[in-house]
Amino acid sequence: MKPAIAATELESLAHPLEAAPPPSESITRRRVRKFRRLRRGYYSFLLLLSGYLFSFALPLLVNNRALIIRYDGEYYFPIASFYGASTFGFDAIGEPDYRRMREQFEREGRRNWVLMPPYPYSPTESLLDLPGFPPHPPQWPHIFGTDDRGRDVFARLAYGFNVSLTFAVLVLVFADAVGVLVGAFLGYIGGKLDILGQRLIEIWSSLPFLYTIIIVSSIVVPVYIPGRNLVAQPSFWLLITILAIFEWVGITYYVRGEFYREKAKDYVAAAIVTGVSDFAIMVRHILPNSLTPVVSFAPFTIVANITALVALDFLGFGLPAPTPSWGELIGQGMENLTKWWLVFFPLGVLFATLLLVVFIGEAVREAFDPREYSRLR
Amino acid sequence: MTGYFVRRLLLIVPTFIGITLAAFLIMHFVPGGPIERQIMAYKMAMAQEAGGASLGQFGTEIPPEALEEMRRFYGFDKPVHIRYATWLWNVLHLDLGRSYTYQDPVWDVIKSRFPVSIFLGLTGFVLSYLVCVPLGVFKAVLHRSKFDFFSSFVVFLGYSVPGWALGTVLLVLFGGGTFWSVFPLGGFRPENWEYLTFVEKVSAQIEHMFLPVVCYMVGSFATLTILTKNSLMENLGQDYVRTAFAKGLGERRVIFVHALRNSLIPIATGLGHVFSLILAGSFLIERVFNIDGMGYLGYTSILQRDYPVALGILVISSLLMLIGNIISDVIYVVVDPRIRFR
Repeated sequence: MKPAIAATELESLAHPLEAAPPPSESITRRRVRKFRRLRRGYYSFLLLLSGYLFSFALPLLVNNRALIIRYDGEYYFPIASFYGASTFGFDAIGEPDYRRMREQFEREGRRNWVLMPPYPYSPTESLLDLPGFPPHPPQWPHIFGTDDRGRDVFARLAYGFNVSLTFAVLVLVFADAVGVLVGAFLGYIGGKLDILGQRLIEIWSSLPFLYTIIIVSSIVVPVYIPGRNLVAQPSFWLLITILAIFEWVGITYYVRGEFYREKAKDYVAAAIVTGVSDFAIMVRHILPNSLTPVVSFAPFTIVANITALVALDFLGFGLPAPTPSWGELIGQGMENLTKWWLVFFPLGVLFATLLLVVFIGEAVREAFDPREYSRLR
Repeated sequence: MTGYFVRRLLLIVPTFIGITLAAFLIMHFVPGGPIERQIMAYKMAMAQEAGGASLGQFGTEIPPEALEEMRRFYGFDKPVHIRYATWLWNVLHLDLGRSYTYQDPVWDVIKSRFPVSIFLGLTGFVLSYLVCVPLGVFKAVLHRSKFDFFSSFVVFLGYSVPGWALGTVLLVLFGGGTFWSVFPLGGFRPENWEYLTFVEKVSAQIEHMFLPVVCYMVGSFATLTILTKNSLMENLGQDYVRTAFAKGLGERRVIFVHALRNSLIPIATGLGHVFSLILAGSFLIERVFNIDGMGYLGYTSILQRDYPVALGILVISSLLMLIGNIISDVIYVVVDPRIRFR
């Protein structure tokens, strides 16, 4: 007790007139502040983030199922649960056509009504009642036209935005998790493991990326299994796993370097001396200081992931068939080049999204880069 | 220094074996290989013969001895390590095997695609250096000017647009779909190539190559321009540039003679990969424009499970890449004597 008091007394004697120093700003906070000052990147980030969060509400905005129905004094919520057509006095099997139902209720003039989403078309619904043959050119109310199966292009693009970003982020998370783990071990343990690991990484990263993905995703493209005729398709999660398997290498190299450098610093030596376990040193002490490459590469990895997904969908090796996807629409556009809306709209959305992510990435990089000028300006 | 590069050259051997072994194993364990494809084709044929019996119900089995013969034909009767060793041994004797689909030696199949790929790749490569390096220089000299700002917009766009995707837009716009009919829809050369006069040949070739080359260039446009710009900017901030200004040299002389020479060092090192770039091509661009180059060959060989061709392309491309890495380092040492590898 006593020595502690003495120490404080000594300290106050040493700096009798100095005011308490302002708390120093952590490097992370400084970077965040710098990032927010880079307005182009920061606003792109806000725009993309809000757009992405907003896209989870798409079933309420772009859908062919009614939100609320009032029928004979009762309320129904088809958006949440399934109702057969007979519930509403129709002589039909399966789900009713809510758009037609709304018209009919309006004609009948009883107090029944249907509240449809603002854009009452689903991305997987073939609009067979349109005149002519699909694909239909842009026309009201199908502002972006329809695709070769008569599905609304706008609805598919909107849902495709959510699918593409979700896909890209998930691949990034999985790949970074593996990459950081492996990089941490290689850099921290070093020695023979490091040499061997680096060779394996060089080999793995030399395999042509898309070729290998095509091979691996052909596991699940129509495959004949003797005895039965099975047509399987790559699932969302399988495709994510496959892409992550080929992508984790990229970040490993940088994380390894960070760990290698941090390991030699005094604070690690201090932690070792005080008996902190290797695992705790890696996770609690070095890891937070080694995440710079992970963060600054993340936007560019997302660009690469979205591009990869679009390319795979374009080639027909992407997500299973009814999934709304940009690449599939572009592929359809390539099949019939006169249907310009199948190429322009998906690519416009793709370019705009990628551009936003690149703006973010550039700002992140600048915020993390101590040098004066940016790399992409 | 020589010792360093000898060691690097020797390291190619294990890496090369590793790459091909990994590819070999992936191909071995992925279902839908050549035998399964043959079986499927046979069953389809049988089903059709049976008068379109409902698909999936036909119970025709291939006689076991025929299956055995098929395995022997493709070499699948031996275990995978023996097959890999045989394949590697043959590669060392410059024999890449025989294509399953074309029934020709793999080398001949690949060789026939060389002219297309080299022509496209070389044109794109030379043009992108001719465009990007001057552009980068101007952007650095005119940093934060209007020109810099607006060209940055193009650079950003080029960075976020994949070349093949741009290709589809260009095709719809200029390929005679709905808008303008300026360029042909694809292909490397017109069908009546042999009957054209020299002038017609040149103009036809330019017509066919214009859009694909633009797409090739988009790939490296942003990175190369920015690399040039940043490298020059970094040099312009150095002390020796200030000294040059201080002793009264003109701005042009300082920028273009003193600073530019040093800032071209990182760009020169990229030349080591010129062969990989030229040969590898992009199968997506080749597919969009229907050009029969190396990239497209690799893509179709994988779709058709023509493993000898796919592995042959991998052998060539990985060797070019590994040697290209070393050449890059050699160029680095040659153009910048301060660099020392040990």
